[in-house]
Amino acid sequence: MPIYLYLDRKTFIHRLHPAVKIVGIFAVFWSVYWVDQPLALLPLGLILLGVVHFTDAWPNFYRLRWLFIIVIFATTLTWMLFYRQGRPLAYLGPLYLSRASLEFGFGRGLKLAELLATSVLFLSTTKVEEFATGLAKLGVPYRISFAITLSFRLVPLFIDAALVVVQAQALRGHEFNRGGPVARVRRYLPVTIPVFMGALRKANNMAMALEARGFGYSANPTSYLQYRLRAADVGTLVLVLLIALAYFGIYLSGYGTIGLA
Amino acid sequence: MSRTWQAPDALAAQSPLAISLEAVSFTYRDAASPALRNVSLRLERGQTLAVLGHSGAGKSTLAKTLNAIVPTFEEGCFTGVGQVCGRMLAGTRVAEIAPLVAMVFQDFEAQLFSTNVAHEVAFGLEQLGLPPREIAARIEPALAAVGLRGFQTRDPTSLSGGEKQRLAIACALALRPQLIVLDEPTTDLDPQGRAEVFCLISQLRDQGLTLVVIEHETEELRHCDRVIVLDHGEIVADGPPARILTQVQMLEKCGVRPPGINQVLAELGIEGYARDLDQAQALIEASMGSQVRPPDPASPGPSSHSRFAPNENQQNRPVIAPLVRVEGLGHIYPESAMPALDEVDLTVEDGEFVAIVGQNGSGKTSLAKHIVGLLRPQRGRVLLAGNPVEALTAAQIAARVGYVFQNPDHQIFAATVEDEVAFGPRNFGLDPKEVDARCEKVLQAVGLDHLRKCDPFLLGRGERQRLAVASVLVLAPKVLILDEPTTGLDYPHLLRMMNLIGELNAAGTAIIIITHTPWLVANYARRAVLMSQGRKLFDGGVAELLAQPELLEAAAFRLPEVAALGRRLGINALTIAELVRALRGAR
Repeated sequence: MPIYLYLDRKTFIHRLHPAVKIVGIFAVFWSVYWVDQPLALLPLGLILLGVVHFTDAWPNFYRLRWLFIIVIFATTLTWMLFYRQGRPLAYLGPLYLSRASLEFGFGRGLKLAELLATSVLFLSTTKVEEFATGLAKLGVPYRISFAITLSFRLVPLFIDAALVVVQAQALRGHEFNRGGPVARVRRYLPVTIPVFMGALRKANNMAMALEARGFGYSANPTSYLQYRLRAADVGTLVLVLLIALAYFGIYLSGYGTIGLA
Repeated sequence: MSRTWQAPDALAAQSPLAISLEAVSFTYRDAASPALRNVSLRLERGQTLAVLGHSGAGKSTLAKTLNAIVPTFEEGCFTGVGQVCGRMLAGTRVAEIAPLVAMVFQDFEAQLFSTNVAHEVAFGLEQLGLPPREIAARIEPALAAVGLRGFQTRDPTSLSGGEKQRLAIACALALRPQLIVLDEPTTDLDPQGRAEVFCLISQLRDQGLTLVVIEHETEELRHCDRVIVLDHGEIVADGPPARILTQVQMLEKCGVRPPGINQVLAELGIEGYARDLDQAQALIEASMGSQVRPPDPASPGPSSHSRFAPNENQQNRPVIAPLVRVEGLGHIYPESAMPALDEVDLTVEDGEFVAIVGQNGSGKTSLAKHIVGLLRPQRGRVLLAGNPVEALTAAQIAARVGYVFQNPDHQIFAATVEDEVAFGPRNFGLDPKEVDARCEKVLQAVGLDHLRKCDPFLLGRGERQRLAVASVLVLAPKVLILDEPTTGLDYPHLLRMMNLIGELNAAGTAIIIITHTPWLVANYARRAVLMSQGRKLFDGGVAELLAQPELLEAAAFRLPEVAALGRRLGINALTIAELVRALRGAR
């Protein structure tokens, strides 16, 4: 199984200037921030689904399908515990079931799912190196942009290592899912220590290798990837900014908030 | 500090010496003794230097000194004067020397951090500030030089071990350095991958590059110009391969395995140096007279070459269900077009010693993981003592089969050696007295009883490997699977590990060992399983397998040098002792 999310395709989105994609992500995040109403979030969700289809990013969404389902349902139910607004329709133990709590909880779940989907879409269509180039074009210092992108490269490797450690300890009879929540956390100690020690060792080796390959030789390294802002990039940029403005308009109109009926 | 790109030649003064170290010593912070002691070394440009020595002899420290990682990155006390490619090491940052000295690290995966091969090669060039057009122009030739043309868009994590290692070398070549340092460049590689890397090193040498190669496998170092042997941080031998690799006793004393054919010559008392099998054959024939006869196809070969044959009781046990039975096993990993395993059958009986061999990615580890239930069969089935593995609990599997992972650090976590070993039995709810008794027994068996209260993270690699074996062995499995148990071990630790495995086998534990080292298979295993592209190509006696060179070649496995020499002399011998005995008999 590939450990990175990037899918090598030749689509319009893949070819976009990475700086435009980064601005696009922030535009979506901005849009989502202003509205709570699920119906108001729906158009953005449909646009994202269209992009997923257009970029053929379905394999990644299939891999993460349970994460999306859990995020939406868990968030909805969690907010129904605390958001006690509107006329109650039914009492389900500690859950406060009203149209307002349902809308608010589901809206929050949808918000998180859309944020997650945008991030997955970005990583499905953007190489880590393009991400670094995009950050550099937006004025982020090279060392900071490299550190950010390096973390994206390392996390999947550490997850991979953790899975091997889980296997090794399971073969010695260790059961991870026994006892209460605290006991279960404790039971992951035989995994966290080897993974942590391995990560320290790898980080040290990687730091040496980075310097040995010239990292730090120049404060402004060049980039093998060369991008020019094309008409398509400008067009896309205008489009995402319009969407962001539209969502701010929805917020100002008051439609994006939840009614207390 | 910003720089623009300058050719390495312009950076370095044109000294005739690539390396000049004068009385260099280095002690790591908090270390009790120096890693390098008064090392003086001069190497001319265009030469290839091989560095040998046991673990902790100072090989990697010497390598890191050559590109200023020691002392600028590694903290410690450094004395002496060093100059590399005309540049003084004192006050030089690692990145500053990168255009002159490239390094391929032992942990080659730690130096690959890009998402495709072309970006990986471009990384160093970008750091040096080369123009994009120049970067693009260098990628293709560097990849072509290591046989990775056409791999530009591949994800480095999807490459085989040999390909990753060659990519690391391509990254070094693209910098067009004056010196390349390779620190154990073939660890983890199958025999074909190893041969590819050393073939590439020979080509680079022929092109006039200066190379420093640190390696345990001495057979591969005969084509170097010069060999030095380090012992506890000091250079104890220095000279051409003909002088150094023939000093069998000195090499063994320094924890280095001498080349097999040189050991044979030394045992026979034949003076002279053999660079290859032709020369070894000629020297033996000249010494003994021409007694060459073609191999007798009807000859049964050595009946049992293991020093650890099972005892009679094991051989005469009544027939019961085999410990392991694999039937028609098939497995395809998600998003992979090729099957990892395809119609594999395997039976392992009580007390057997089976070596599973084959190139990287041939399905060896996948097969082993099915046997211990870490992977579920998609086709076929796996039975342990007649029971389907998926129907057994973890405790039941552990009592039948133990699995030692390649990297011991994947399981070590406890505060003491004793607690690490006791972890498994405690998980299975064994009585504390029984746990103590078992720990005592296995710690003695692996020779770690004197370190029972030590922190496992402070142990050496060989000791951690033995600890990993002990922590599996304590569950008293009937079958022990070891995945590359000798990776990263020097010769003394390797021998100790293999002797331990042999003793366990002699005591009745069936052994399944996954290894890339042909001479280990020849010396220790009685049965070999050859895997290729997920299929089992051969299953039978080791001597029988090694008598089929075409089959070995097809599966990218190599005949051990001693066995190959024996065949040339008409003797079916697998080990040095067998060959020497046969030749003495012929005398």
